[in-house]
Amino acid sequence: MNTFIESRELIAVDVGGNRLWATYHKPCRDLSNLAPDEKNRVGILFLNSGLLPRASPSAVYWAESFARCGYPAIRFDLPGLGDSQGDIPEKAFDFVSDGGYAPDLAAALKNIVNRYELSGVVLMGLCAGAVTSLFTAAISAECQGLILMDPYFHVPQERLKIRDELSRWSVLSGPGLFAGHVYHGFRHLARVLRGNKLPKNANLPLLRSWRQVTSAGKPVLVLKAPSLKTRGIKPRAGEFDYLAYLQRVAGSGADVRVRVIEGTNHSFADTAGCQGVREHSERWLNHFFPLSTQTEPQEATVMERAMALPGLRS
Amino acid sequence: MGATPSVAVEKAGYFTVPGAHLYTVLHEVPNPVARVLLVGSFVAERHTAYIPWVRWARFLGARGIECLRYDYRAIGESTGVLEEMTFDHWIEDVQLLAGWLRAREPRVPLLLNGLEIGAILAAKAFEAGSGDALLLWAAPATAHEAIRSVIVRRVAIEYAFKFGDERKPVSQYIRDIENGQPLDLEGYRLPSRLWRDSFHVQLPRQLASEGGSFFPPVRPVRMVELDAKAAPLVKGSSLLDDALARDLTPLFFENFQWIAQAMAIPSAGRQ
Repeated sequence: MNTFIESRELIAVDVGGNRLWATYHKPCRDLSNLAPDEKNRVGILFLNSGLLPRASPSAVYWAESFARCGYPAIRFDLPGLGDSQGDIPEKAFDFVSDGGYAPDLAAALKNIVNRYELSGVVLMGLCAGAVTSLFTAAISAECQGLILMDPYFHVPQERLKIRDELSRWSVLSGPGLFAGHVYHGFRHLARVLRGNKLPKNANLPLLRSWRQVTSAGKPVLVLKAPSLKTRGIKPRAGEFDYLAYLQRVAGSGADVRVRVIEGTNHSFADTAGCQGVREHSERWLNHFFPLSTQTEPQEATVMERAMALPGLRS
Repeated sequence: MGATPSVAVEKAGYFTVPGAHLYTVLHEVPNPVARVLLVGSFVAERHTAYIPWVRWARFLGARGIECLRYDYRAIGESTGVLEEMTFDHWIEDVQLLAGWLRAREPRVPLLLNGLEIGAILAAKAFEAGSGDALLLWAAPATAHEAIRSVIVRRVAIEYAFKFGDERKPVSQYIRDIENGQPLDLEGYRLPSRLWRDSFHVQLPRQLASEGGSFFPPVRPVRMVELDAKAAPLVKGSSLLDDALARDLTPLFFENFQWIAQAMAIPSAGRQ
């Protein structure tokens, strides 16, 4: 068994007594052949959603695409997830909401930056992975930018089973759909009457991290899939508009860009999601972290190659 | 369930097969009493089952049983083009890895353990002569049965995120794939051909008809039905609710005991 193939290398990072596993996608040009000033490039480190392992087809697709553009890309399993050692906390999502993974990830970033002689890392996370990315960016000098995919800024509460059943009913039946509209209409009204304040379950430490990161001038790209029962960037009626709030509270030197990818869902795993994320991310990377001496790959070439990846031919 | 203190060293690596590299993780044990090749679940189910599948490998490793788990060709971390795959390629993966595992120490018995579609692949390889014993978890009668249930889950997700005019019923997805369109399963574009082939990929006759406990020449076989209590090892589970809290130790222990008996492991129960 080999730990590497032509385009990838399996890497182990020892942090906090655990061996953590990642997959490194080699950039299109070998860093070791470059002059010292050319080595100054960022890598992209991807954290998958929730408890998913690092190798979903979309994650592999994005990593391969970035590597082809010249950016080293790393897919990473946090402690206890995927192949990495470690215990998963009993209340894992509370742990995520508290930024519990951030110290280990920050330590791993140091290791990876040194190992591959990178100038820094852009953290790219999906859902809970985005929450961990933001907490980490606030404490890591190695993290130079963020791509947050459908992040959430509240602390998820345990839901009663009856509430899950009601949600299902409101999605699957006509009367349920109507009842759902009425319920969310009332919620919207209540929110307006309360002055559209931050909800009680807002994740305040995470919002502080946001202010720290944006005021430090680290660029942030937020990618949004259409939310449940809504189109465009606005949340569903009755829900607090965190993105509007976050753009207001970002520091003066902040560069926050929000893009909506229509036609996909929260996982961004379908063709529309995969391609939308890739296109927006590559454009953003080229703008904020240009590869100084790289010949820009022609868009058609990148697209052709990307479409040839497993699972994404059309 | 907390992590079991493991004596196994986990080594990730790539195993070369024709046209691709299989991602493998060997739970290496010094002087193992047995070896197990773990043939996991398919496409989208792989993700939800991953954590308990790894825990099962660690559970066995802690009891002196060396395990090899892997991703099918063109699935997960393995390379390859899904559109070019056939079920025969995946059966070949099982045979090649079983051969590699066997060659590490031919005197140590080898068991094939398959989950869902992986159970059919493991059984096919076993029928062709790989392995000394076979343990099947949640084996569907055909691969088609398993894929169809994935589609139903996919439709449930679509219903949550899409408006009425954008939604399609299950029957429409099936018509589409039967008309030659690929089916998008959590990022895996399943070609129509695989859907058609899946009708014919089934458990070997001896197992399908008798749920046999032995396979000629006499090699032990066990088939275990898994219900919702085994989630998220099997489909139908919610990651948030089930993946962490569910303690699968009773299931693991019971199956370990069967393995110890079937493989005549003298020190069964060693921690």
